[in-house]
Amino acid sequence: MTEITPAERTRRLEQRLHEHGHVDTAAIDRAIAEAESATGNSASPALGARVVARAWVDPEFKSRLINDPVDSLSEYLPQAVPIAVLVDTPEVHHVVVCTLCSCYPSGLLGNPPAWYKSFEYRSRVVREPRAVLAEFGMEVGDDVKLRVHDSTAEQRYLVLPQRPTGAEDWSMERLAGLVTRNSMIGTGYPLYP
Amino acid sequence: MISPRSLRTLNAPLEEIQGEETASYARIAAVDGAHDLGGMHGFGRVPVEDNQTLFHEPWEGRAWAMAGVLSRSTTIDRFRHTIEQMPPADYLASRYYERWLWAIERLAAEQGVLESSARPGKVARPSPFAKPASARFQPGDRVRVANSVTPGHTRVPRYLRLHVGTVDRVAFAWPNPGESAAKGTYGDPELVYTVGFAGSDLFGGEADHIVTADLSESDLEQP
Repeated sequence: MTEITPAERTRRLEQRLHEHGHVDTAAIDRAIAEAESATGNSASPALGARVVARAWVDPEFKSRLINDPVDSLSEYLPQAVPIAVLVDTPEVHHVVVCTLCSCYPSGLLGNPPAWYKSFEYRSRVVREPRAVLAEFGMEVGDDVKLRVHDSTAEQRYLVLPQRPTGAEDWSMERLAGLVTRNSMIGTGYPLYP
Repeated sequence: MISPRSLRTLNAPLEEIQGEETASYARIAAVDGAHDLGGMHGFGRVPVEDNQTLFHEPWEGRAWAMAGVLSRSTTIDRFRHTIEQMPPADYLASRYYERWLWAIERLAAEQGVLESSARPGKVARPSPFAKPASARFQPGDRVRVANSVTPGHTRVPRYLRLHVGTVDRVAFAWPNPGESAAKGTYGDPELVYTVGFAGSDLFGGEADHIVTADLSESDLEQP
């Protein structure tokens, strides 16, 4: 078998598709630029953080977010697939994975981080979640029940982490700065003020 | 007739891919592929890094964008199923977007777009929000996962086969992934349930967690 590099394979594929009018090089450039310049108004961890911070300060929104997540999130961005909101409590902590591929709440948080797609995370977090979370620097108490959600269908998950203490008088905008991407997947806690 | 494939197919040029039996490609058994990683031993520490770079090399972004174009003419399930047909050694030796590239080269060959300017038809995505009227199972019901050894595509992970769990909620409706992968179009929706399983049932007595998965009605039985 002849071997060529992925970059060369991609170049040849694009050239063939371009020759027959199926892709437009400029459109690909634009799609990449848009994906790479995601801001707080497009699908990104910053957008997810705004949603979480609002749920922390606004009980009415939190209730709607839990009971009707697609409509609530569509106020920010239209959602193409169902999404379920997993509410962390002092007793229960949620973690999200896709063991079969890389399903992720991209319509809210943007593309998944590399570790989410890694063989290590995909194979191990369903089997030994406490050990995996320890590698992320999380110490989950023995009294906390862990629920690991394998995204095996066209439904996505958002973890609603617990609001950190010590920021009781903070504004929603400031609180959003405490919400990390990993805390919305379950592999991290929000930052502490 | 499906010709045997070599162990390694990762960096074959397009001309060699077109020599593969692309028309019958998606009918090759692939359910027990290397992609089905849940619960596997042998992988080490998670490579935790907070690098938010989307594409680590320029070709990755281009492969991602082309996947978006080619996916319009098939189902998400056929895209996944194509990746799942990578020989296991290739799958485990490749990076994420290398697997996408491997799949879109084959989807492009299958769709005829490497040779022809004819536009393949677009495949409409069904609404995942409409639910069929009657649900076979209700929250709290015990259900057993079918022994989903099919010669096609399934979204039932191996580690759940034949295990008994509890329905958490009736989640939504979606066409059967195996059929959507085989046909390249979407059929009638069926209900998808979120089902919870005791970690100790799945992985032994030490495990004290719950694992949930989203499973199609046809993959569930009464225990």
